[in-house]
Amino acid sequence: MRVADLSFPVVLALICAVPFTMGEFTAHQLGLFLLYGIVAQGIALCWGKVGILPLGQSLFFGLGAYLGGSALIAYETQPVVLYPALLGAILVPAALAGGIGFLVFRRQVGSGPYFSLITLALTMLAYQVALSTDWLTGGFNGLSGIPSLPGTDPWTNLYWVIVLALILSTTVLLWITRSPLGQLFQAVSENELRMSFLGYDTAKLKALAFAISAGLAGMAGALFAAQQGIVTPQSLSYLLAGELLIWTALGGRNSLIGPVVGAVLVGMLTSELRNTVQSWEIIMALLFIGTVLFAPRGLAGLTERFLAPFAQKTKTDRDDLRTVDRPLVPASLRFKDVNVSVGAVNILRGLTLDVKKTGLHCVIGPNGAGKTSAFNAMTGRLPVTGGQIHWKEREITNLPPHRVARLGIARKLQVPAIFPDMTIGQHIDIGLWSTGLTVSEMLGQRAFRRRNEILDVLHDLFPVLGDESKRAGSLSLGHRQVLEFALSVIARPNLVLLDEPCAGLSTEETAELTAAIRQICRKFEISALIIEHDFSVIESLSDHVYVLHQGAALSEGSLEDIRADTTVQAVYAGGRK
Amino acid sequence: MESSVLFLLNTSYAVLTLALVVLGLAIIFGLLGVLNMAHGEFVAIGAYCAFAVQSAGLPLILSLPLAIITTGAVGWLIEASVIRHLYKRPFDTLLATWGLSILLREGIELAFGLEYRSVSEPVSGSVRLLGVDYPIYRIMLMVALLIGFAALYVWYRRSNAGVRVRAMIANPQLATIVGIDTQKLARLAFAAGAASAGLAGAMLAPLVRIEPFMGIDFLLQSFFVLVVGGLGSLEGLFIGSSLIGGAESAGSTLMGGTAGYVTVLLISILFLWLKPEGLHARR
Repeated sequence: MRVADLSFPVVLALICAVPFTMGEFTAHQLGLFLLYGIVAQGIALCWGKVGILPLGQSLFFGLGAYLGGSALIAYETQPVVLYPALLGAILVPAALAGGIGFLVFRRQVGSGPYFSLITLALTMLAYQVALSTDWLTGGFNGLSGIPSLPGTDPWTNLYWVIVLALILSTTVLLWITRSPLGQLFQAVSENELRMSFLGYDTAKLKALAFAISAGLAGMAGALFAAQQGIVTPQSLSYLLAGELLIWTALGGRNSLIGPVVGAVLVGMLTSELRNTVQSWEIIMALLFIGTVLFAPRGLAGLTERFLAPFAQKTKTDRDDLRTVDRPLVPASLRFKDVNVSVGAVNILRGLTLDVKKTGLHCVIGPNGAGKTSAFNAMTGRLPVTGGQIHWKEREITNLPPHRVARLGIARKLQVPAIFPDMTIGQHIDIGLWSTGLTVSEMLGQRAFRRRNEILDVLHDLFPVLGDESKRAGSLSLGHRQVLEFALSVIARPNLVLLDEPCAGLSTEETAELTAAIRQICRKFEISALIIEHDFSVIESLSDHVYVLHQGAALSEGSLEDIRADTTVQAVYAGGRK
Repeated sequence: MESSVLFLLNTSYAVLTLALVVLGLAIIFGLLGVLNMAHGEFVAIGAYCAFAVQSAGLPLILSLPLAIITTGAVGWLIEASVIRHLYKRPFDTLLATWGLSILLREGIELAFGLEYRSVSEPVSGSVRLLGVDYPIYRIMLMVALLIGFAALYVWYRRSNAGVRVRAMIANPQLATIVGIDTQKLARLAFAAGAASAGLAGAMLAPLVRIEPFMGIDFLLQSFFVLVVGGLGSLEGLFIGSSLIGGAESAGSTLMGGTAGYVTVLLISILFLWLKPEGLHARR
């Protein structure tokens, strides 16, 4: 049970008591803001969990309202058609959001302002369209005379339908948060690049979260149409989207219930005081800025502190032993005349390289030789401007990172890339899941119990990995290197790219990690391509050595061959440039 | 013929002023990494300056310095009070400036009310240009803007300040180490970005409907210009402004306001998809 979940029963009890204690009129008012609260919950999913900020969520709320309103008007007496049509008010916004999200995220790695502003622009567009298409939306006056849901009255029992919708949306979000999917969402928000090197399609994950939030907004919109009996372009307005965002922020973007509380408290206060207190909106704006600056967790962040002692941590045992089941194919990687240029700088100049055998291979070369760039070119991080890269007879030139990873190429970055706010156990999960989860595994609890033989060996080698509830951000550099190494080999790739795995480690730590790399790669037949400067590492990890110089291959062979090679000596000793 | 010349002149005026608005946004986004959601409100403040000047019975040309001073000062204050804390938190700057945009909008509403305002151009004098009469006030401003942009281009390439700004973009920490006061430079940049939006607002005032909510359109338009033109070069800024400004005014002249908006949005999304770095990106 997470801390934030504890407040839900309390809030729900209060909500249920309102019609009896404060009368039906207040309940009607409250119902409206509960609907806005559902939209805010969706915003919190995107913003707090996945790290994407939708600025135009009213688009999906309004769309749901128009669709729901039209359905209620057209099919009031035909429930057989009405309910599927109302379902459309949820599915259409969700599909639209999924599509938009996928289009934007596929091209924009990271979650910068582009996505936010496009959602804002789309909301503005929808508002314009709703205003100008009288025949469809009723223009400025909107759709009016919308009947309530069959068998309900907006002033009495529709309130309970809204409460049910709130319970539904909270349950769905709680379910997601505690499922593997929720853990993947959090990982995307913490380190998107790491996720794509593990083979996760982060664009799809972000689009999915956006679609879920839009579906919730659509549902709230349809109920809004039934409750208010009228839908105007105001429901699509970016001003509403802004208010929703403020309520989410004040309530707490990391929380499930916080946004609802924010919408109800702030929203109802606003509708009361907007006309009497002249500078009310200014106070709200200042409060919002203050929250962003000083209390990013909002109201929920404050209550969490009181509730924390009651929270209990559940720990799942890993009792689901999986065999590592990637097909055993000999590693074969081929660079053919690969060029990479950034601006006027040619980083790789006709690099040709052939890795034919399974084993441990080192890549050495002076600074600026293009070692890391070769890795970047191979894993879709740098655009290849000429030549081809083949992996197991398949061309992988310019494939996106997650596709390369899915083909069995894992990567460990030079500066250890981890998910700082997640635990070691969560890292292990994410590594184990990177071979793919089915939909039911994604939403169930079973996947948390997985382990495999590699994990067992890793546990023996590195006791620190056994402390599964430890936050990764609190680890030392050495342990971070270990953790990221574990993350990259745990799903047993064919080939693992290790970029200075021992950088910044002490002599003992280096020896330990080197031995571990040897043991794991040999035992599970994982090939490795290792960039190193440390000769003690190269000596113990090299079946074959490649020397790069100024963006091209200089020499290759066994360590003895390389040591004897005069061209290599010249480069390292500075004899020749 | 006459109407198309008039359309061309009006479009050029719109494109040039749009370029000025975008310049402000690009300074703040490009140099400081802050996408200023309150940028449109600076345009609005500039326009209200023009309204205030005209209501007071003063010559409209005075609105230009007033707008620069007012928005520059507001920008300075905002940087010093809010933005300063947020340079390492790009997500939060987006939110905080969004909050600021609401704050400024409400402030304007408090001072001037919700009703639509308008500013009339100084009637004295129009000049015959390519067979149509065109207000001399606009011609003068267009020429002044062109000269201004050219001067800016030269200054940025040649002067010491330009070098320091470029150093700050390339590596803020190193810039601090070699003795550049990045904090002061950042504050100046923010104020300058705000002021150029304010100036554009004052110049646009006779052409647009002035109301507290007018800013958002300018924000989105200038954001789209950045998407199309890319960050970091005046060339990109001009190409982007022409494309977006031109498409908007062509679309809305031919098919109405919504169509203009749709065209601009589609162009931007297309660019985001096909050329995510924009036409003239720095890198």
